[in-house]
Amino acid sequence: MRVAKLFRKTMFGIFLLFGLIALSTSALCVYTVDRQLSVEYEANSRAIAQTIANSSMDIILNRDLSTLQSLIDQFKEIQGIKYVYIANEDGEILAHTFVPGVPKEILRGGPMKLETVQRRIPGFGEFIEVSSPILDGIAGSVHVGMDKGLIALKIQTAIGQQVYLISMIFIVSVVGSFLLVNLAAKPLVRLGGYATQLAAPAAPATITAEDVQALLERNDEVGQLARLVRHLSARDAARTAE
Amino acid sequence: MRIALLGLAPALVLSSALLGAQEGVTDQQIVVGMSAPFKGASRSLGIELYRGSMAYLSEVNRTGGVHGRRVVLKAYDDGYQPDQAIKNTLKLMLEDRVFLLFDYVGTPTVTRVLPLLKKYDKLHFRLFFPFTGAQPQREPPYDRLAVNLRASYRQETAGLVDNFVAIGRSRIAVFYQADAYGRSGWVGVREALASHDLKIVGEATYARGTKYTESLDRQVAMLQEVRPDAIISVGAYAACAAFVRDARKAGLAVPIANVSFVGSESMLELLVAASKADGHDYTVNLVNSQVVPSYENPNVPVVKEYLTLMDKYQPAPPAGLADADYKPLRHSFVSLEGFLNAKLLVEVLRRMGAHPERAKIAETVATIDGFELGMGRPISFAAQRNQGSDAIYYTTVEDGRFVPIRDWKVWTK
Repeated sequence: MRVAKLFRKTMFGIFLLFGLIALSTSALCVYTVDRQLSVEYEANSRAIAQTIANSSMDIILNRDLSTLQSLIDQFKEIQGIKYVYIANEDGEILAHTFVPGVPKEILRGGPMKLETVQRRIPGFGEFIEVSSPILDGIAGSVHVGMDKGLIALKIQTAIGQQVYLISMIFIVSVVGSFLLVNLAAKPLVRLGGYATQLAAPAAPATITAEDVQALLERNDEVGQLARLVRHLSARDAARTAE
Repeated sequence: MRIALLGLAPALVLSSALLGAQEGVTDQQIVVGMSAPFKGASRSLGIELYRGSMAYLSEVNRTGGVHGRRVVLKAYDDGYQPDQAIKNTLKLMLEDRVFLLFDYVGTPTVTRVLPLLKKYDKLHFRLFFPFTGAQPQREPPYDRLAVNLRASYRQETAGLVDNFVAIGRSRIAVFYQADAYGRSGWVGVREALASHDLKIVGEATYARGTKYTESLDRQVAMLQEVRPDAIISVGAYAACAAFVRDARKAGLAVPIANVSFVGSESMLELLVAASKADGHDYTVNLVNSQVVPSYENPNVPVVKEYLTLMDKYQPAPPAGLADADYKPLRHSFVSLEGFLNAKLLVEVLRRMGAHPERAKIAETVATIDGFELGMGRPISFAAQRNQGSDAIYYTTVEDGRFVPIRDWKVWTK
C-alpha cells in the first residue's frame, strides 16, 4: 500500500513533467516548421513562377497557347504546387491548371496583382500564391499557388513523430520509476516488519530470520535504522527486566 | 535505360552513314512506329486508329507491299500519358530503329514528343499523321518535323462557332480537358468568337483520364450558371459522355458540340446505353465535327474501300497491348481516319522509290499536290504547308447513329 502511494506521487510528477515537455516542444515545433516551410515554399514558388515567366515570353508572343499549357502542366507535378495560371496584360487567364474551373475568388481578386497573397478557396484549400511578371508585366504574369495544406501536413507529421518519441520515453520512465520505487520501498517494508516483530514478539512474524540478518548487515540508512531499532528494543527490554 | 539509349544516338548516325543502309527498312519490310493509348479511359482512340490503319496495310501487304516490302506497324501503349509517349518514342527511334513515326494519338503526348524529334533532327525522323488537330505541329519550329493529314482544331472550332452564331446562339461556353489538347480547342473557340466580337461566356474543365462513371455535376453547375446558348466540348469520349449525361439530367438542354478527337462512336455507345438504363434520351442536341467523311456514305470512294477492307480483315486490336474486354467497333470515324492515314502513308512510301531514305521524306511529301485520296477533295502539301486536308464535316445523332447535319436552323434560338 505504501509502495503504491509512493508510486502514484512519482507518476504524477512524471506526468506533469512530460506534459510540459510535450506542450512546449510541440508549440516550438509548430512555430518553427510553419515559419521555415512557409518561407521555403514561397521562395520555391517564386523561383518556379520566374522560370515559367521567362519561358513563356516566346510562347505567348510567337506560339500556340497549348504549348504554354504543356509547360505549366509539367510544373503542376511538383509536390506542393496546387495550381498555376498565366494571365495576359489585360488580366485574361490564358492557361491554367484548375479543375473544374478557375475559382471565383481568383477571378474576383484580379489576376494581375503581383504581390504574394494568402488565398482561402472554399472546397479547394488554403494557398500561398506568388506571382512573377512576364516582360516586366507588359506581356502578362505567372501565378503559382502552393498548398498550405501540405505545410499543415508536414507540421502534423513532425508533431506526431515528436509525440511518439516523448510517449516512448514516458513509458520507459514509468516502468523505470516503478522498478526504482519498488527497489527503494522493499527494504523499508522489511524494516517495518522487523520493527513490528520487535514490538510484538507474540504476533505472527512477517519477516524471516534471513531477511532480518540481511537487513542488519546493510550499509545504508535502512541498515542503520534497523540496527537502531534493535538497540532501542534491546534497551527497552533491559529496562523492563530491571 | 534512357541514358543508355541517348548514348546510342551518335553511334546510330555514324553506323547508318557508313553502311549506307536506312534504319527501319530491309528487303522484306518497312517498319513504322506508333505510340497511342491502348488501355485506359481513351483506349478506343488508339485501338480504332490502329485497326483502321491495319485494314489498309493488310491489303497492301497481301498484294505485294510497297516496292516488294511489307509495311509493319510497331505499336506501344502510352495510356495517353506524355511521359510514357516520350519513352515509347525513344524506344522506337533508338532501339527498334523504325523508319518513321506514325498514328500518334493526342495533343499532350504529341506536344511533348515534338522536342524529341528536334533533338534527334540529324536522324531525320518525321511524325506522320498524328491524331490531333493542335497547332504546335503545324507551326514553327516543329512544323517541318510532322506531316498532318487532318484539319486543325482551330478549323473545327471555328466552323462550330460560325454555325452557332449564324443561328443566333452567340453565348458559347467551353467544356474542355485540362491540358494542351483542351487548351488548343479553347484557343480555337476564343479566336473564332473574337472574329464575331464575342467572348467565351463560361468554361469548365476536367482532368485527363476522367472515367464515364465519375460525376461531372460541378462542371455542369458552373456552365449552367452562365446560361449558355451552346457548349463546345474539347475532350475524350468518356468524360464528354459523362458531361452530356449530367448536363441533360440537370436540365441543360442546349446543343453540345464535340470535336473530332472525342471518339464519336465510343461516346455515343455510352450515351445510348445510359439512355436505355435511365429512360432519358441523352443523344438529342448533339453536334460532332469530323475531319473525315461519314462512313455511312458509301458513295464516297474511300469510304467504300474502307467498309470493304474493314469487313474483309476485321483487324484485331494490337496484340498484347489492349485490354481483353475491349469490343472493337465495326466502323467508326476514328478507324476511318486511321485508314486514310495508312493510305496516304503508303502513297508517300511508294513515291520514295525502291530505296527510301528518311532524309528525303520532306521533299517526297511536298510532291503530293492535288492527290485524290478518295475523299472527294484533293490532298495537297507544299514546302510551307504540312497539312493535307482542310475538310470538316458536321454530324448529329439520329436514331442512334451519326448523320450529316442537313440544316443547322433546327437549333435556331
